[in-house]
Amino acid sequence: MLLSQDKKPTLIWLQGVTCNGNTHSFLNLSYLELLLSKFELIYLPFMEVKYSFFDISKCSLSCDVLIFEGTFDPLMQRNGVLLKDILIHYANDAKHIIAVGSCASFGGMFKASAPDRNSGLLYDGDDFIGVLTKLYKKVINLSGCPIHPEWLGYTLSMIANNKNIKLDDLYRPVELYSNLSHHGCTRNEYFEWKVDAKNFGEKEGCLFYEQGCRAPMTHASCNKILWNEVSSKTRIGTPCFGCTEPDFPRENFFKTKTNMSIPQDIPLGVPKRSYLTMAGIAKTFHIKRLEGKLIDYKTTD
Amino acid sequence: MIIKQLIEQIEGEAFVSFDMKDDRVEFSTISFAHFRGMEMILEGKNVLDALVITPRVCGICGHAHLMATVRAIEDAYKNAGFKINLTDKIQKIRELTLIMEMIQNHFKWLYMVIIPELSKIVDLSLVKEPLKGAFSASIASKIIAIFGGQWPHSSYMVPAGITCDPTDIDIVQAQNYLDELISFFEKESLGVSLEKFLSFKSCKDFNDISSDISNLEKALISIDMHHKGFSHDRFLIMGEHSFTNVSKLKHTRTFKVNSKYIKTEEAYSPNEKTYALNALYNDEYYETGSLARMMSNSIPIIKNMHRRYKDSAYSRVMARIFELGYMLNHAKKLINGIDIYEKSITKVENIEKVSAKGIGIVEAPRGSLIHKIELEMGIIKSYKIITPTQFNIGSSTPDKPTPVQLAMKGLTKEEALFVFRTFDVCSVCTTH
Amino acid sequence: MARITKAERKKSIISASLKLFSERGFYITTIPDIAQKVGMSVGNFYNYFNSKDVLAKELVMYISQYLGDNIRDINERDISTDEKIYEIVSMYFNIADEKPEMIEYFLRVYLSNREVFSDGCEGMLCVSPFVTEMMMFFNDGVESGDLYDQDFFSAFGLFMGYLGGMVFLFGEKILPEPLENYKESISQNIYNALKSR
Repeated sequence: MLLSQDKKPTLIWLQGVTCNGNTHSFLNLSYLELLLSKFELIYLPFMEVKYSFFDISKCSLSCDVLIFEGTFDPLMQRNGVLLKDILIHYANDAKHIIAVGSCASFGGMFKASAPDRNSGLLYDGDDFIGVLTKLYKKVINLSGCPIHPEWLGYTLSMIANNKNIKLDDLYRPVELYSNLSHHGCTRNEYFEWKVDAKNFGEKEGCLFYEQGCRAPMTHASCNKILWNEVSSKTRIGTPCFGCTEPDFPRENFFKTKTNMSIPQDIPLGVPKRSYLTMAGIAKTFHIKRLEGKLIDYKTTD
Repeated sequence: MIIKQLIEQIEGEAFVSFDMKDDRVEFSTISFAHFRGMEMILEGKNVLDALVITPRVCGICGHAHLMATVRAIEDAYKNAGFKINLTDKIQKIRELTLIMEMIQNHFKWLYMVIIPELSKIVDLSLVKEPLKGAFSASIASKIIAIFGGQWPHSSYMVPAGITCDPTDIDIVQAQNYLDELISFFEKESLGVSLEKFLSFKSCKDFNDISSDISNLEKALISIDMHHKGFSHDRFLIMGEHSFTNVSKLKHTRTFKVNSKYIKTEEAYSPNEKTYALNALYNDEYYETGSLARMMSNSIPIIKNMHRRYKDSAYSRVMARIFELGYMLNHAKKLINGIDIYEKSITKVENIEKVSAKGIGIVEAPRGSLIHKIELEMGIIKSYKIITPTQFNIGSSTPDKPTPVQLAMKGLTKEEALFVFRTFDVCSVCTTH
Repeated sequence: MARITKAERKKSIISASLKLFSERGFYITTIPDIAQKVGMSVGNFYNYFNSKDVLAKELVMYISQYLGDNIRDINERDISTDEKIYEIVSMYFNIADEKPEMIEYFLRVYLSNREVFSDGCEGMLCVSPFVTEMMMFFNDGVESGDLYDQDFFSAFGLFMGYLGGMVFLFGEKILPEPLENYKESISQNIYNALKSR
């Protein structure tokens, strides 16, 4: 006889309108094998496990944990069955529903494929009108385009360990979405002293003023838990695009929206007046060290 | 009799309708049911936004889309009369991360697709270890992230440059990860050193080793895959790179190519609705991808293999595995050649001054990927994407079969399904 | 008689020195002149300000805060951008009329004797409240769609340079009419120059 603690939670990974980016991001997880071993894998889209999608589409199985990737399109059919019917069948029985990626959380990139009908599971942008709002107590949103593998790794580990996951007001784990993606950026000192990056392709300077960086307005732990365990967008000079927020994708990703040179959006929770005062004063000082190259290769020859 | 088959684990799914006669595939059509309207999403936006949007065409080869976009934008600059100068460093780093994406793709295809699928139809027992594919791919992704910040969905290539400014330690880390990956490939996949593998002259050289790759090779032979899955024996390589030659091949003869001959047309799929378009070169179907690239490089083992087994399923699989080794070796040369003192970006006019057409072509993991743009003051008027799977997995009429349709003809359904996957199919790219 | 508090004392030094500096000039005015005008000993003066330079900086901050508070009050009103322009122009001219020493000090001392303000008063340090409010004004104007989005200093220079110039002409008694009479046309000109196109 199996002891109850030996019974692993069953897991199904279902996809809507997607690029598989969350799948491939998740496959980078360093403890993938260990994590998967904690679940009874009913269906995964990326490798052969117990059942095929053909079986899944018959809607006769069930699972404890349902992962959903992609935008929900109410008219989408998979294997001739309405995705809506498949989703609702598994969602009703599941104990936990995890929306992985911004598409599943808020509609994301592929909301634009059919803007009048596509949405996330709970949200359409930040409107709470998704297909699973009745089951909201079971839903965990892991926004991000794509998700960081550790974010799903953390969430599944907590579920496997029977631990409670505290969520924010967009149903995202506070553990992962309380930080701003600005936190831990190697360019922080340039932000503090208002030293703009003059161009792309330099490790010096902050990308907030000209290059469109949304890190101070974006809830994500990208610079706390590094990507692929090595880096992050802002560290290597690409602006944060705010991909974990309900308004992703915005427009003009590489340009800061300004009103008469004043950034339209400023760090979360900071009154604009206070920000402008602080920024103006910081800009007054010219810190020589921050104006030069971080490493002066020429003199170290 | 028509049998409809759902195919998964091809970066999405497809249906193949087999017209069977005496248990053999007489004819087949392929349909891709899911459409996302990427080109429509791009229209009207600032073209720099395409650097963020097009990687999201595909989770497994988005980096190739990024590079196709940046090339298309740079081509538009040139056509508008502006110069684009790329330093050697910019070109090497772009090439390196593109190759690393190809390598992660090939590892996943090998361990998560081809070995498990092959084991369904062979008597030999093959060890199924799909997570080896994920593990090795994750190391390749780290190298991309060192320069690109993250993988998937990096946007670090920008017109006239790259956003990163790597230092010595980044280069050292990248070299170390690459060495780790090569070592994994040698120990876990090959059973011989990479150097030895790359010096193989003939497929017989696999006989002396026992490894995942040699077992795969034996399994392919055991079910006669060296005599099955033949296609047109025509190959197309359109992306300009340091690791292949832009050309088309008919059998072993090489010809020059021009991108103006690439066209798309409606797919023929009478049984199922499909959103895919077929891609043709000069009104003919060509195979694109690893076998094509390796054919264009005049590599002894590939020439030898092709002489004996032509463009069989065996050649297609083994060329992809050979390419894995070839690219690992090439990546090493690229990293060693990066001069960090060079510029990461060169001077470029504001995109709002560009009103022109542009074309960006790269070799994606599955073959030639084409992005065509038309800009008006930096805004996208039209954006057209043609992906490698549209060349390989088109669905045409019986009188003019596409590479995959021809390759599946005459096989049992099970064999045909395996041959289908030897092309390495990407569903999401196809119906972008 | 109620005791005069230290703060009140300080304020009286500020207003006396403002008047003296703007009437006689910064260099000619001495600390004994100021002390005399306030009615205190020179020694006592130093209990409030360590030096003339320190006083000079405090005056700039005082004026900047005063202007900033006034503009903030306008910024926070629920009125259109052209009405705000009128209110700012009106406020500025009223000060120039009623407390000319404030504007005079700003134009004749602060902007003309940069060496006095080069250490500790450079850039935004002493004028932050005023400039911040002007930034808020421009930001809100663009965000509401009323103003054309352009470089901050291009717009700021047009607005404040214009007002400064008019006050200068007024101070030189060149203007044929009282400042009051120019409020309407100048507000209109500024709005026309800055409005969205």
